[in-house]
Amino acid sequence: MTQLSPTHAAARVSRSGRARVRTLGSRTLILIALLLLLLVLSALSLVAGSRVTSVSEVWQALSGTGNPHLQLVVTERIPRTIIGAVVGASLAVAGVIVQGITRNPLGDPGLLGVSVGASAAVVTATAITGTAIGAGTVWVALAGALATVVLVVLVAGRPTAGGIVPLLLAGAVVSAVLGTYIQAMILTRPAVFDSFRFWVIGSLSGRRLETLAEVAPALILGLVLALILASGLNALALGDDMAHSLGVSVPRVRAGGLLAAALLCAGATALVGPIAFIGLAVPHIVRALVGTDHRWQIPAAILLGASVLIAADIVGRIIARPGELMVGVVTAFVGAPFLLIAVRAGRAVRG
Amino acid sequence: MSAAPHLESPVAAAAPALAGRRAPRLFRIGPGIALPVHPRALIWSGIVLVGLIVAAVLTLSMGKLGIAPQSLPAALFDPPRGAAGFTLTTLRGPRLLVAIGVGAALGISGALFQIVTRNPLGSPDVIGLGAGAGAGVAICGLLWPGVLPTPAGALLGAMLAITIVYLSTGRGFAAPARIIIAGIGVSAMAHAVTQYVVSVKLRDEASQLAGYLAGSINSVGWGAVGIIAITLALCLPAAWALSPSLNQIALGDSLAHSLGIRVTATRTAAIIVAVVAAAGAVTVAGPISFVALTAPQIAQRLTRSPALSLGLSALLGALILVVADLLAQQAPWARGLPVGILTAGVGGIYLGALLIREWRKGRL
Repeated sequence: MTQLSPTHAAARVSRSGRARVRTLGSRTLILIALLLLLLVLSALSLVAGSRVTSVSEVWQALSGTGNPHLQLVVTERIPRTIIGAVVGASLAVAGVIVQGITRNPLGDPGLLGVSVGASAAVVTATAITGTAIGAGTVWVALAGALATVVLVVLVAGRPTAGGIVPLLLAGAVVSAVLGTYIQAMILTRPAVFDSFRFWVIGSLSGRRLETLAEVAPALILGLVLALILASGLNALALGDDMAHSLGVSVPRVRAGGLLAAALLCAGATALVGPIAFIGLAVPHIVRALVGTDHRWQIPAAILLGASVLIAADIVGRIIARPGELMVGVVTAFVGAPFLLIAVRAGRAVRG
Repeated sequence: MSAAPHLESPVAAAAPALAGRRAPRLFRIGPGIALPVHPRALIWSGIVLVGLIVAAVLTLSMGKLGIAPQSLPAALFDPPRGAAGFTLTTLRGPRLLVAIGVGAALGISGALFQIVTRNPLGSPDVIGLGAGAGAGVAICGLLWPGVLPTPAGALLGAMLAITIVYLSTGRGFAAPARIIIAGIGVSAMAHAVTQYVVSVKLRDEASQLAGYLAGSINSVGWGAVGIIAITLALCLPAAWALSPSLNQIALGDSLAHSLGIRVTATRTAAIIVAVVAAAGAVTVAGPISFVALTAPQIAQRLTRSPALSLGLSALLGALILVVADLLAQQAPWARGLPVGILTAGVGGIYLGALLIREWRKGRL
């Protein structure tokens, strides 16, 4: 009973009072549609690029026959597609969680500076040791992400007083300063950072599956934590007092959510560098598709986040031929309008 | 009951501002002309000017190829031959003038914006104007060279950015928190455009790339000096002519209206001047951040006046940029960095402090 009522109430209060209770069937259909979308985009990601290969050529390459050069190209596209899917899913889930715990559609761990913080930590560690730090990267990134969360909260002052706006402003400032720091480090030590440009803006090019294996524990931990917290987030949507009277420990859900988001975000950043706006845009679309129940939002965000990042990567590979555009640039251009829409829609920002 | 407070409110709101503001002394020229003079602003302008001259002399005289301060006056009129002369006339000379000009333009632009939005955060770099102008420069300079001159591109980009911000807030410039967050979004989009252009056109030229992305005056010539000089020649007199009306608007729209100021027209004109100044600066130096934010703030704090101190703001902007560029040229830890990275680092921290203060006072 306590599990059900917050869900229904949350669904009822959604979208300026328009009642929008989704049935189980329609939500399942939406998830299946998202899964199909992801599969189609993944297939496209193997085909598209600076050299477009036909489907039959890709098939030949995958089965080990055909042009060896082409085989190389296609096998290069497999890891970036997988990593893109994992990163997109992680960032989208982190966005759902942060928007849940702040009860604000502007919540995005990227906008709060978490990704840039993780990136800055990795850059610092790399500069000190002088070489790439390998398997330790994700934990350094995690430490940086958590330290940035603490810093942003400290800069913003008491977060309860003003809602999310001070957090967002503090996040923008901290990102600006840390981004400057990263750029300065990379520009002054070209020898160390020659192949590490992606610490400034996230990119999927040249990432290897071994890195994914190193990061996987953090991502899995974050995802499990997120799934455990989903019903707690539903209760939180009704307000702190209501959640408390439903038997949910509000501070525990908030802290756990923050940890989950930091884990997911740090893992994603350790893989591909900082990417903003996925965590902002995807939850918006997900809410419109499956409603406000976080137990549905999280799986939908996984599928849609993966699709969006792979799509952005494909766009980045096509529009800047013969080179490619970093995926973080494409997501910023596509995702930033959601920020403007959220601001214009009103409720998110007072004043 | 309902009418009385309505009538009184603008005056009541203006009273503390008037009380905190020293009445200007009048400097009379003959019987007909009286110029208002703020002693505090004048003294500080003098001090900043001296600081600017010191920084300029240091810029020209430090390092192996510098010219010693005592021989500098002669060298300015008759440049020596050889490496030192080359450094003066083609490297450091134009660079110094561009730093002064860009700093001044950004200072004016920031001061005008802050007075129009009535908020210290309403500065061109916070609301995405600089990033928009930078995207315009990247498109006109790199992507489609020759279609439009780069200054026109900067102007169009800046105007597009401010229009999007204006529309996204839903309430024009009356909601500072929304302006800033919309500005974050517009900046992100503009940066994405710049990144796109740069990665298509300048894949391997890291230093030029940094100039487009962070703002740099590492390799400017006399052409850049010309552009920024024209910008200032347009904007300084216009801003000066607008400043009395703007100072009335600072006391409140209805009070200014009752004093015979055309509020909307003045505000629009001020925004146009500010956009032109920022666009000129970005054309020459790229999107250098946070000078336009900090210079007017410091000016206001020094004069302790709510009124606009355009001249001091321009001087401070110039001083900040010249000092930052001096660091970029001479400090071992900063050598070769684009100057925009230095200003962004220091200015970002200042912006953080400012945001917190404004938020706690509930003025956002």
